[in-house]
Amino acid sequence: MKPQKVEKSRQLGAELVIPVMAIAFTLYYFSTIWNSPWTAQVSAFLVGGILLLVCGIFILNCVRMLANREGSLGFSTLVNRDDIRTGRIGFLGATLGFCVLIDHLGFTLTTFLFLLVSMAILGKGRRLAMITGLAAVISVAGWALFIWAFDTRFPRGWFEITMEALLSNG
Amino acid sequence: MGETATILTEVFFETIAYWWVIVPTIFLGLIVGGIPGFSAANTIIILMPLTLAMDLETGIVFMVSLYCAARMGAGIPAILVNIPGTAGAAATPLDGYPMAKAGKGQQALSISFVASCIGGLLTTIIALATMPILARVGFYMHSVEMIVVMLFGISLIASIAAQDLLKGLIAGFFGLMIGSIGTDVVYATPRGTMGFLELYDGVPLIPALVGLFAVSEAFIIIEKRVIISEDAEPKHPNWHDTIEGVGIALKRWWHIVWTSVIGLAIGVVPGAGASIASFVAYQQSRTYSKTPEKYGTGHPEGLIAPESANNGVTSGTLVPLLVLGIPGGATAAIMLVVMQFHGVSFGPALFENQPKVGYGMFMAMAVSYLIMFLTILPLSRYMSHVTTIPTIYLAPLIISFTLVGGFVPREYMFDMYLALCFGVLGYIARRTGYHVAAILIGVILGPLLERYFLLALKKSDGDVFVLFSSTLGNILWVSLFLSLMLPIILKWRRARRNEEVPAE
Amino acid sequence: MKTLDRRGFLKTSAGAGVMTLAAPTIVRAADFPERNIKVIIPTREGGGADRNFRAFAEVWKDKLGTDFEPGFFPGASGRVGYEVYMGKEEPDCYSLIFGNMGPEVLNWAMQEPSNFSVDDYFYFGRVDVDPGCLFVGAESGLQTMDDIIAAGKERKLNVGTSRMAHPASIGLLALGEATGAQFNLIPLSGGKNTVAGAVTGEVDFSVLTSGSVIAAGDAVKTLLVFGENRVGEALDNAPSMNDAFGTNLPEMLSSRAFAIHRKAAEDYPDRFAKLQESFKATFEDPRLLESYVSLGGTPEYLSYGGVEECAEFMQAMLELGAKYKPLLTGA
Repeated sequence: MKPQKVEKSRQLGAELVIPVMAIAFTLYYFSTIWNSPWTAQVSAFLVGGILLLVCGIFILNCVRMLANREGSLGFSTLVNRDDIRTGRIGFLGATLGFCVLIDHLGFTLTTFLFLLVSMAILGKGRRLAMITGLAAVISVAGWALFIWAFDTRFPRGWFEITMEALLSNG
Repeated sequence: MGETATILTEVFFETIAYWWVIVPTIFLGLIVGGIPGFSAANTIIILMPLTLAMDLETGIVFMVSLYCAARMGAGIPAILVNIPGTAGAAATPLDGYPMAKAGKGQQALSISFVASCIGGLLTTIIALATMPILARVGFYMHSVEMIVVMLFGISLIASIAAQDLLKGLIAGFFGLMIGSIGTDVVYATPRGTMGFLELYDGVPLIPALVGLFAVSEAFIIIEKRVIISEDAEPKHPNWHDTIEGVGIALKRWWHIVWTSVIGLAIGVVPGAGASIASFVAYQQSRTYSKTPEKYGTGHPEGLIAPESANNGVTSGTLVPLLVLGIPGGATAAIMLVVMQFHGVSFGPALFENQPKVGYGMFMAMAVSYLIMFLTILPLSRYMSHVTTIPTIYLAPLIISFTLVGGFVPREYMFDMYLALCFGVLGYIARRTGYHVAAILIGVILGPLLERYFLLALKKSDGDVFVLFSSTLGNILWVSLFLSLMLPIILKWRRARRNEEVPAE
Repeated sequence: MKTLDRRGFLKTSAGAGVMTLAAPTIVRAADFPERNIKVIIPTREGGGADRNFRAFAEVWKDKLGTDFEPGFFPGASGRVGYEVYMGKEEPDCYSLIFGNMGPEVLNWAMQEPSNFSVDDYFYFGRVDVDPGCLFVGAESGLQTMDDIIAAGKERKLNVGTSRMAHPASIGLLALGEATGAQFNLIPLSGGKNTVAGAVTGEVDFSVLTSGSVIAAGDAVKTLLVFGENRVGEALDNAPSMNDAFGTNLPEMLSSRAFAIHRKAAEDYPDRFAKLQESFKATFEDPRLLESYVSLGGTPEYLSYGGVEECAEFMQAMLELGAKYKPLLTGA
């Protein structure tokens, strides 16, 4: 395994995130099968063993590169100032908000709010009227397809309940 | 034989007369196929009251054309916005999406439509002609043989990881490890589930698929104004690109033929599915290509292989259903239920008692592919516009669509959060140089491989040599070994030739 | 595994039965049901339970005077559905669960119980019984039970089953005990694969719930039923295991039944009585048979069972589960 030639030093901190996650998960996984029958263990130990091995080699490689000053423990390839400027952090926040709020506000309203907020963040507040209209059209279309037509189990909020009442009366 | 020909001709004209069912169904199929989470199987279930109310012929035509169209529809968002709508389309974005990014979305769509239609049509005809022989394939492809077939697909990890092998292997094996979540197939011991009952049956595929590919992509594309790269020239919808795509695909007709036959061969094995077929076809296509390095960068052959293979599976799954009465996949299983409701009994006696039903299904498939080709090819010029929508609108749309899509198959909120978690994982992987596709192959194929592996071991009471116990299995092992060695040999030969040239 | 207090369990279920049977004439909820009744189904939409439920609810809804709303919560061999029912549904008789007393209870016996105890709910209305059976592929070299027993004494036969913790698997283990033949159970995940396994020769033969075997038609041949053969020709006139081998095994059934929170039945005996009465009345209506047949069910398998029959069956499953646990879990 040859290390790639790099012009500027590699941000090894960021590159280590996945291997560290992999190691942590594999060890957790092993802990759940320690006392299980062989059928539960055989392929997991095989796959997990190789995974631990390659992660180990990668970490050793990183240590060597750090010692040779070919890389640093930085995270800038993963997170940097640009993430705030491009609205990525805000977008992530809106996405998390979507997941949290959908249970309380219902599918349609949450989708509307999510689309509105995230488009506004990414568009840096321009063309708000158009964004509002777009968000409204899409969320109502989503309601028509998923709730009204296909009757999926998405959380119902006041919008869905009101529409249901309206449709059953009309 | 003459009698069969008469029946076939009759059935052909009868099927054509159902065009008024086929055309709207194709559009329905394209839509449900294109929305992640929906599929032909769950649409037929949702529309079950309608399906049961139809007479037998209409029902067959409806289900079959929905099945074909949904399979093809799944490729559209996979190409345009990197959202594979089903596991069968998981290999489509590998080369389809880079083409769309380069401003060749329209060509990519045409290529995929042509590959799907020709692959589908051709395999339908082959299946019809060789049904009794094809049905035997399942009698030889047991768990041991399937292990090797799966390894063909999994070996893709190594080729994808070519630029940085160590990181590729980490990604691939991490995917395999994630794919091992869930109860073991023999004794149902829960493993690595973090206490979530929702993970007992393994990681649900659609949330993993849309999370890794689409959610992570949505966070990446916001850096750019639109999906297609800025230097790709802006275009108005035109026929030229569509026709160019058709030309690119037709020129590679032989490629379509053999990759669709791979799909057919895997499709006739009960239980094996489109995801295996498309990865194996992609891997084979790359192995025997003269330009393997182009795969993953928007290479037409890398798009043709999975698309013609997964449509080959569509015709393949009908064979065990009709000849043996064993449905080859989820959609075929639902078809079986609907047709039994109409008093059709499947199995060896079907072609004696109700030959028109048996031939009718294949004919419906062939006619659907024909009509589909004519109806959707002209649409590719409008569809490809998606890539020019500014990302400030597109990224939020992708997120809401994919989170919804993660939810739909099982209707658990848990799956939506899971899609988001996979999105975060995919994002970290992309930013730090790990291949998302390698993780995904592990997640999709890992559990299948483990299942066959454990069944083989359980059957032999834990004797590992069972893996080399069958003749067909051993032939497959040898060809797997060859297909892994071939690229290395070819590379070495090319390198040597390059050395020789300047020496002269 | 938490030990189940068997006597206490039987006492409460019998008690609930007696109490509710006595109660209806005294207090009657004139206004129950005021709204639709929700039914949790712990398997996939479009599956056997779905069809069964639709056929039954079609008639029951008229007897009860309200609609049934199914909700499908598949996963973890039915456990997700039970968790949802016990954890999220109010115990007020407006929600029921439509489960399978065979494999689901057996599964319970195999795995650690979770947030609630197995006697926090009870089955009160059995809809059908579907015995497990043993079958070979049409082209298999083993065509009679004698072939199988003889081959099983020479080598260990691989036997497909839909999953280890299934009544049909227990039937096979009992067959092995009775005859001395050697069997190795291979779980093939689901009925479809189990049929395919026997047909294609992946395994020597398979055991499965007979409904799915009947559906497979000529591709398979049934040799033995782990219970009574109620359909004759459709299962190739295969004999019952007890008749053929002189065993004394209870029927190894897949048996669908409605269950309810024990608390709901105790808190609202009048409502529960109404559910029971109308459930029973459904069986007396000839429309049930029509509805069942039209949705592809096997009419011979329709079989009414009340609280006591269900409790008895569930208890038998838990005991068999405990007996065969080492073989079925590899523990």
